[in-house]
Amino acid sequence: MRASLRAPRSQLAVSLVAFILGILIVGQIRSQAGDSGLGERSAQDLTLLVANLNTRNDQLRTEVSSLERQLQSLELGGRNGTSSLNQIREDLARIRAWAGLDSVAGRGIQVTISGGIAGPALEDLINELRNAGAEAIAIEDVRVVAETVVGGTAGGLSVDDTALGDPFVVRAIGNPESLVGSLTRIGGIVAQLAATYPDAAVNVEAVDRVVLPATTRDLAPSHGKPRL
Amino acid sequence: MTAITARIRAIQSWQVTLGFALLALGFLVAAQLAAEGPRVRYTTQERSPLVETALGLQTQQDQLKTQILELRKQIKALEDQGQGTTTQQREANANLEGARIAAGLIPLTGTGIVFRLADSSQPVPANGNPADYAVTARDIRTVVAELWLAGAEAIAVNGERVTATTGVLDIGGTILVNSAYLAPPYQISAIGPTDMLAQLGLSQGWVDFIETRRGRFGIDVSFAEPPTVDIAAFSGSLNLRESRAVPPSPAP
Repeated sequence: MRASLRAPRSQLAVSLVAFILGILIVGQIRSQAGDSGLGERSAQDLTLLVANLNTRNDQLRTEVSSLERQLQSLELGGRNGTSSLNQIREDLARIRAWAGLDSVAGRGIQVTISGGIAGPALEDLINELRNAGAEAIAIEDVRVVAETVVGGTAGGLSVDDTALGDPFVVRAIGNPESLVGSLTRIGGIVAQLAATYPDAAVNVEAVDRVVLPATTRDLAPSHGKPRL
Repeated sequence: MTAITARIRAIQSWQVTLGFALLALGFLVAAQLAAEGPRVRYTTQERSPLVETALGLQTQQDQLKTQILELRKQIKALEDQGQGTTTQQREANANLEGARIAAGLIPLTGTGIVFRLADSSQPVPANGNPADYAVTARDIRTVVAELWLAGAEAIAVNGERVTATTGVLDIGGTILVNSAYLAPPYQISAIGPTDMLAQLGLSQGWVDFIETRRGRFGIDVSFAEPPTVDIAAFSGSLNLRESRAVPPSPAP
């Protein structure tokens, strides 16, 4: 029996089958793992997803060109021996403004909320503003940063230990048309709030210039260290 | 009877091995064809090109983000070269590094916790809503908010850093963070104090979340506390088209 297993023909047959088996197992595992989870989505949802990805990719392309310009000018400055101090300061100002470390001003919108809504509803509004492309947001005089969480219950909300009165105002910087359009669209956040809180009033208006304060939070991590 | 037994005994072991292997082969071929089946059908519908487009755009996005991170690294290296030339430059560079860390543009490592959220494996009851049994954008936002309240100082969802401008979007059950499509399961990593888990346990919001989403709908919530948690840098754009920095008003 042993002799027959060592026979070249049987070895060849077993190897061939094992080879095909291997390929099929890998194929099977790959086809399972490669499932993106998108297959069951409706055409309408997929269209929205594609639109979102498109907008985002455009923004990222703009960022790439802006960073390329910055890099070129730094390289040029290095070759000419001119000080890059101004460039560093410009970069610093941009990052500080974006992170909420400095006060910023620009076109945007003002949302006045009266009558009391729950904390999660205000969180929804902030999330909607972020998704609509808001560059900077403040609730009353509190600049919204990543860590900002709304606390309390309807009528007694607080943000970063600052109590919100009635009415209170949310201001955001960004393209006013897209921000207003996004909040007030049919089935949008304003419509949802009106349906959930019939006693509350939400007023959205475009503003030529809003000024948002810097955050009072210390954003420097104490448990995390830069990973090189 | 003895003839049949003798015949079975006569079968060589390599033939048995080959027989089993062929059986497995047949099974796998069938499984493969069955798995391909729905996809073949689905290319005939209008949805498939959209899925292809979405996945293609996501691949493009990943490439753009890699490019952004690489460019930022090069810029940082060049800016650091000037370090130490003058006091002003040293100061500006130190400030820049601090601002980058605060903004989430630098990857961090430290103590922390990692949560994993996956769709429920419970069968959806006849009168139930299937959406309740899947992880939603709200679930992600709740965990992120609770982690901030528990003292987290940096958070990422499937590698997407949560920043001041990060929105979480739900398009028919598909979750986007920083407008990046995230495939389930969802991994939420947070750097913070070692007592974050204890702090979460003290929060009513967290207790409610676990009771409802895990208790009622069977959403799979698990966690790990590895010795160190790594959080990626934000790889998106610093979108400041409308915003202008307001110079601090001079002291009176």
